[in-house]
Amino acid sequence: MRLSTTRFGDIDIDESRAIMMKAGILGFEHLKRYVLLVQDEEILFWWFQSVDDGSVAFVVINSFVIKPDYKPIIQDNDVELLEIESPEDVILMSIVTIRSDPFRVTANLRAPIVINLKKRLAKQIILDKPDYPIQYSMMDNKLILGEESYKKEEIIASALSI
Amino acid sequence: MLILTRKLGESIRIADEIKVTFLEIRGKQVSIGIDAPKHVPIHREEVYQMIQEQNIFAAQYDVLGDKKLSHIWDRLKKEKEKI
Repeated sequence: MRLSTTRFGDIDIDESRAIMMKAGILGFEHLKRYVLLVQDEEILFWWFQSVDDGSVAFVVINSFVIKPDYKPIIQDNDVELLEIESPEDVILMSIVTIRSDPFRVTANLRAPIVINLKKRLAKQIILDKPDYPIQYSMMDNKLILGEESYKKEEIIASALSI
Repeated sequence: MLILTRKLGESIRIADEIKVTFLEIRGKQVSIGIDAPKHVPIHREEVYQMIQEQNIFAAQYDVLGDKKLSHIWDRLKKEKEKI
């Protein structure tokens, strides 16, 4: 299908690449289908574009890239809902809030989007741990961004290039 | 909104599976205990709202001019290398 987006113009979407979110994203509950877009393979930011509304897209990053010791607990019912059979099939994406000052760019570690790449099902879960902030500064950890590119190949394989 | 008055130690039940018990009042704070099955997510309202607001704010980002993602990424990396 052809999707007309605000940010990237018209793009062709292979519907088999769409990711279903039964509950949507908080604040955007009515939008159920998303697609991962790669704008630049050299960087580890991806776009999570709504297929139902071309004007809605989020910048996301694999949560482990910014917090390598990230260990969220995914509840049994979510494992079931997302039909997760193996942890290998899952990636966790944090929604990034971009601001022009790099020190104010934050990622949401409290409510990651859990994506089952195999089944193409996803959910934004809310973790019980207050020590995972909603606004986690991307400058907080000492790692140099991109040093570890967790599951980059898998993400690129299941995303669309724009 | 349904408003019920309860004494300490008393409970209300929501559907078959959820029981809310009023445990303690201290000044303006109320402790409540919630028995619910694991599949029922329970969160403080303000956490829900904060995440919703953050999502909405994050979705406003656009890709114009030097605000391209690769620029932001490079700036982040550069700043990090300084640390």
